[in-house]
Amino acid sequence: MKILLVEDNERVAQFVVKGLQEAGHTTDHAGNGRDGMFLAASEPYDVIIMDRMLPGDIDGLAIIEVLRKTGKRTPILILSALTEVDDRIRGLRSGGDDYLTKPFAFGELLARVDALHRRAKGVDTEVPLTVGDLHMDPLTRKVTRGDRPIALQPREFKLLEYLMRHAGQVVTRTMLLENVWDYHFDPQTNVVDVHISKLRQKIDAEFERPLLRTVRNAGYTVTADD
Amino acid sequence: MMRSTAVSLALGYVALGIVALVLFAAPLWYAWQVTIQDERVEFLQVDARRLAEVFRRDGAQGVSSFIDARVRMQIAGERILLLTDESLHPLSGNLPAWPANVPTVPGNYKVKVQLGDHGMQTVLVHVVKLDSYNLLVGRDNALFAPLQTRFWYGLAAAVAILSIAGLMIGLISRRALLTRIDSIRQTVSAIIHGDLKHRLPTHLNDDELNTLSRTINGMLEQIELLVHGVRNVSNSIAHDLRTPLAELRSRLEELALIRPPPEQTYAEIDGAVADVDRVIRIFDALLRLAEIDAGLRRSGFVALDLADLAASAVEFYAPAAELKNIELVFRSDGPLPVSGDPILLAQALGNLIDNALKYAPENGAIEVAVRRCGDGNAEVSVSDNGPGIGDSEKSKVVERFYRGDASRGTPGVGLGLSLVQAVAKLHGSSLVLSDATPGLRAAVTLPLDAANTVALATAPPQTAPGSAVPAPVTCVRVPTSTSS
Repeated sequence: MKILLVEDNERVAQFVVKGLQEAGHTTDHAGNGRDGMFLAASEPYDVIIMDRMLPGDIDGLAIIEVLRKTGKRTPILILSALTEVDDRIRGLRSGGDDYLTKPFAFGELLARVDALHRRAKGVDTEVPLTVGDLHMDPLTRKVTRGDRPIALQPREFKLLEYLMRHAGQVVTRTMLLENVWDYHFDPQTNVVDVHISKLRQKIDAEFERPLLRTVRNAGYTVTADD
Repeated sequence: MMRSTAVSLALGYVALGIVALVLFAAPLWYAWQVTIQDERVEFLQVDARRLAEVFRRDGAQGVSSFIDARVRMQIAGERILLLTDESLHPLSGNLPAWPANVPTVPGNYKVKVQLGDHGMQTVLVHVVKLDSYNLLVGRDNALFAPLQTRFWYGLAAAVAILSIAGLMIGLISRRALLTRIDSIRQTVSAIIHGDLKHRLPTHLNDDELNTLSRTINGMLEQIELLVHGVRNVSNSIAHDLRTPLAELRSRLEELALIRPPPEQTYAEIDGAVADVDRVIRIFDALLRLAEIDAGLRRSGFVALDLADLAASAVEFYAPAAELKNIELVFRSDGPLPVSGDPILLAQALGNLIDNALKYAPENGAIEVAVRRCGDGNAEVSVSDNGPGIGDSEKSKVVERFYRGDASRGTPGVGLGLSLVQAVAKLHGSSLVLSDATPGLRAAVTLPLDAANTVALATAPPQTAPGSAVPAPVTCVRVPTSTSS
């Protein structure tokens, strides 16, 4: 994946670029708004990570607006030190696809970049999902593992659907909270983990190969690979 | 005298009063003068007619003696009579000679005449011709003089009383006003110097100054609350952020000093990251609180169904309750359309349920209930059967970073209930804590939004089967002044 990082803080940029490269992505870095705008407009990127507040006269949101006006549909993840809910809404409204507040865990950033890339490739909500021998039909809402049907509550279905749509990727707790429950706050206790373990009981408990796995310090992933 | 609003106002009223008095007195005076004049002329004409009758009957000689008799009978010289012949030679009467300033043409004249021991007097005289004789009939005006004097004295007294009373009232009200303004000024300067405890004096009556004082007191109340909050928060931040930062620092310092084997180093780094996360978490909670307190989140208000919001929160926390073997029950009697911020309301409700989960005993019970109150409000409440909170602690738990004795050793940063309180306040309500005997009942009421149609479109409420949780009590709304 080819990624552009527009970030003025040298240390943060270094850390992110290194992490992304280790994850196997080619990463360009721009340290100010002008370079960022130039690169974003001229090079084809899969995902752009955009710091919201940049030195100089061009800030992140301005770049995003210009890109969107010129028809560039590259998925953009906004990085910001502004945590207010309104700032988040403003960021997304300007054309950003996701919003992550600083400071962040690298795992969270990586997971969100992956999710954005996956989403940009297009999601057909009607096509059945398959991970190993786990099947889900979003239309009939039937879930089977092997030949055994699995009964899920509506929310469990949504949780599994989100995990399966991001099969092979790490999905963080915050992403689950935002996308499955539409909660934009930190519920303090490990409620998401409890939901996951309930879901795991249903899809993994009686099978030899667990599909729903915990990724240490990051989140969860559904995968059939070892 | 100092220029002041009260005095200028009083002077203005005095001047206005005097003008009104003059406007009232002038026509009265004029009418009075005209009437008296007419009356006098009438008198004199009657007199003259009678003398003329006597003249026609008895001739000049007769009238002359009639006049003399009259003059003699007269006690006070109020009547003036004079009969002269053609050459103005006096024949009878009480005037020594025909006054030089009175013509011999018949008519009425106002002249100054020497009246014996009365001195010069202005009198009204009536002159008639009796054949070739001249008759002068007059009356001394002195009779009316005291009446006129009294009128003028009365008028002057009225003006004086008006002026003095006006000025006195002006001075007194100025003094009263100055005293009150001065006390306001003193209070305000005390506040400027940093003592926010002061309040403006207020009285029972409802005049403008009092209303203003009350409004200012309300503002001071709010300022004190905020300043107090800021002070509290900075103290608490100092404490609550210092702890994880100190741990982090010693962890890193130890790593730098000891340089342990890689395995141990990695474990320490993980611990350090967890410490930082804890700091960030506290920070986020504080920022969110500050954001809510500033009232900036009103832009997030939308029409929503409180019952639906509560149902999802209950559903979200249900597995966590199950894990602790706590029975989490949801009660609802239908959609509750309200206007609010869904993110914040969900977080507030989440905090309440989270709190209840922390304190409810193993195998305990939690009830989340939404209902319509009689007074056009919707109430959402969370009751647990845990240890509850003592009355003395109820107001403290909503304070930032306050953690009751029972909560020592449980995770959390001590901002949960303050956030609920702040969210309730943003929605014009407050968090009401009461006893669920046993346990705690936390409730927030929101005004029902009649224009909201969102709730009507939602599915019928899911009510979980019965439980052993105490029945709900009536909705209580308390003015928002708990967090201090």
